[in-house]
Amino acid sequence: MEQILANGVYLGSQYAMIALGLTLIFALMNVLNFAHGQMYVIGGFVTYTFYGQWGVPFVLALVMSCVTLAILGALIERYLFAPVIKGSAREESTMLLAAGIAFLLDALILIIFGEKQRGVPKIVDGVFNYDFRLIMPYDRILICILAILSIVAFIGLMQYTKTGRALRALAQDRTAAQLMGVNVDRYSMIGFALGAMLAGLVGGLLVTITGVNLGMGGPTSIKAFMMVMIGGAGVISGAIWGGIILGFMEAIGLAVLSQYGDITYLLIFISLMIFLAIRPQGLMGKPWG
Amino acid sequence: MGFSIQQLVAVGVFLLAIFVGVPLLINATGRWDFYFTLTSVALLAIASAGVWLTFYIGRINIGQGAFALIGAYVSAILVVKSGLSFWISLPAAGLFAGLIAVLIGLPILRLRGVYFAMITLVLTQVVTLTALALPITNGAKGISNIPLPSGVSIFGIPLIPDFGAMENTKLAFYLTACILMVVTYAALYRLVNSRLGHLCRSMQQNEELASSIGVNIAYIRVVIFAISSFFGGIGGAMFGSIAQSVYPSTFVVADSVNFMLNCFLGGLGYVFGPILGTLVLYFGWDLLFELGKYQMLVYSMILIAVIRFLPNGLLSIRFGKGNNK
Amino acid sequence: MSALIQVNNVTKKYGGLIANNDISFDVSENEILSVIGPNGAGKSTLFKMISSFTPTTSGEVLYRGERISNLKPHVVARKGIVRTFQETTIFKSMTVRESVVVAQHLRAKASLAGYFWGSKTAKEDVTAFGEYADELLEFLGMSEIANELASNLPQGNLRALGIAIGLATDPKVLLLDEPFAGMNHDETMNMVNLVRSVRDERGVTVMLVEHDMPAVMNISDRIVVLNFGEKIAEGTPSEIQNNEKVIEAYLGSADDEIGM
Repeated sequence: MEQILANGVYLGSQYAMIALGLTLIFALMNVLNFAHGQMYVIGGFVTYTFYGQWGVPFVLALVMSCVTLAILGALIERYLFAPVIKGSAREESTMLLAAGIAFLLDALILIIFGEKQRGVPKIVDGVFNYDFRLIMPYDRILICILAILSIVAFIGLMQYTKTGRALRALAQDRTAAQLMGVNVDRYSMIGFALGAMLAGLVGGLLVTITGVNLGMGGPTSIKAFMMVMIGGAGVISGAIWGGIILGFMEAIGLAVLSQYGDITYLLIFISLMIFLAIRPQGLMGKPWG
Repeated sequence: MGFSIQQLVAVGVFLLAIFVGVPLLINATGRWDFYFTLTSVALLAIASAGVWLTFYIGRINIGQGAFALIGAYVSAILVVKSGLSFWISLPAAGLFAGLIAVLIGLPILRLRGVYFAMITLVLTQVVTLTALALPITNGAKGISNIPLPSGVSIFGIPLIPDFGAMENTKLAFYLTACILMVVTYAALYRLVNSRLGHLCRSMQQNEELASSIGVNIAYIRVVIFAISSFFGGIGGAMFGSIAQSVYPSTFVVADSVNFMLNCFLGGLGYVFGPILGTLVLYFGWDLLFELGKYQMLVYSMILIAVIRFLPNGLLSIRFGKGNNK
Repeated sequence: MSALIQVNNVTKKYGGLIANNDISFDVSENEILSVIGPNGAGKSTLFKMISSFTPTTSGEVLYRGERISNLKPHVVARKGIVRTFQETTIFKSMTVRESVVVAQHLRAKASLAGYFWGSKTAKEDVTAFGEYADELLEFLGMSEIANELASNLPQGNLRALGIAIGLATDPKVLLLDEPFAGMNHDETMNMVNLVRSVRDERGVTVMLVEHDMPAVMNISDRIVVLNFGEKIAEGTPSEIQNNEKVIEAYLGSADDEIGM
């Protein structure tokens, strides 16, 4: 039981960070970022390259993942999403573009980092063992703490800084924010960069545990979509709840149903569908339509 | 509604090209491999027609891979385990996919926009995982060695020849796929230009207003989603029969995304858009094969450029914006 | 005159908020009845409950003695109670004529399959829809803009288009949502005449929700006044004008509401 709880917290904290980035981008620009999983993978590969290959300190490598993804996110917003949003009659074009970008990032990952599974040396050795009821390697505990700290920092940023307030205003009502004097173009870019950065940060954190490979992008995006649907799209608290709930469901499922193989995810999917039938806006989302 | 001479000529030329022109050309050049490519295009275009139709009621469907996979498995199981003729399993596959669509559609069709898109994408993953988990689908090993379609005759008159006894199944599959595609798009065209199509259009533009004029939007949504998935099931079943095998990875999330891209690229305002979109995307991908590991890079860059500069689809170059034929 | 629509003790609560509290009144056949009240008085909510766009918390709405509340909107529309919306709710990429044709689908005699195969009845339907659309647009003075895309129309025409779509369904009762909002004096007078001719020449009972007091006084046979979700008065325009509660309600709220 303690083990399941601990695994749930560990998974949930990672997932919440992924969902936060996705939901931020969605709230700001109404864009469903298909490439979110690929951004996560790139974050993993950057940390792998700096920390695993070149021996740069882990924290510095993490910073490099964040910076790389922030720049990448800013460029993608500035030169791809912004013009397409302006020039197209249909909102669906952005979805198409996002799919194209997911393909593009996959291609870039393939060319730059190759298709092999990559891992890095452990950042901390040893295993925490409480009476064989709760076993958790120290590196997982550390990563989990770092993830929770990042989430707290992100919420602090959104609540208490000028940038955060501008981003929240933008998410609530684009036109109103513009009238209030928020530089919409600039903050859209900052928001997108921030969302991409979060994806990169989780990628960098998790490469120390699970490693990273080219094929992880798509499934990660799908998990992120599920979390966002559970919590309600575009809501920060919803993303965190979605991440925690999915993390716990997975932890419980893997513990209880492990002998049935992939049935955990099947059950999660089915319960998600039933949940959405009753509450289409998710846990925290506002009802619409 | 009448057809203009131009339209009739265009349809005639198209039919001649696919049923006579292509076989002659392939015979002359000896590029038999093109049959497989074009057969795939025709079948993927059938599944894409379904995605296009869901868009017609204002829903972005990234779940067609799920229904294609369901269709492929249903047909394979009926043929291999129950010994049924492929020609009976084909409509059965479509109907089963349609039935599943009704069950899933009832809850999820209430979702709109991005939410519907997300859940359908998730759906593709569900079906893949289900295929891995269920005993009847034989897990990751899938179902292989599916026999070729058998012949059909009524009162001794052969209607469909036995594919197993044929020397050239490639041509036979190509012609079958083309006939299915032509029938699918003829039906789609009729549907769109009939009353149901008009009601769909009214729902696409404003569901509230549509229900205020008495349109049973929940009912029509489910009907359309079922028809859409029927197309997916048919396309998938035929695909499995040609490959003579089906695995959980036969249709995955990327395929669902591609079905959507086919429709968007061809242009959502045009019934025949998905055919063009499928042809261009599939051939484009094939042509770039020479580039090796740069194939995906170039392909995605072209794709992004098209979206960036032709946001209303390829057919919009010729017809201009907003034209709805 | 018999009551065509009976609103019986209708209440709507959103969480702890009461939007409508125990409202009752009747609408007689062939009358024009207006529901007025300051902003937030619960007029729109009441309208949504009558057309079943939202369920009631308690109470019911009857049409010829048959319950029409807490159903699906399309079911109510099929019974002949049709609502219009404010101008943003239109079929944007259809032309005026296409919108009116599509709105006639309830009159169709042929089945959906009949249309698919192109049956004789379906062809007759299509011709009949076209003819009726032309007649209706002529009646509404919209023939000239019949082939304009709805998204290209100016505001005033959009309101008329909404009414045209509503009328095309061949309603017994038409519920108009703020038909005069944002119109200048001349436009309002045109709309008043139009609504009146809809009633006089087509025998459609009209119920409307409106802010514009002079227009309402001009057009209505009877008026129901709401304030803070409660019905505070009901009567002919002259009775309402002299009702103390009404005057108080309007003076107590923002003064531009009266529009006089």
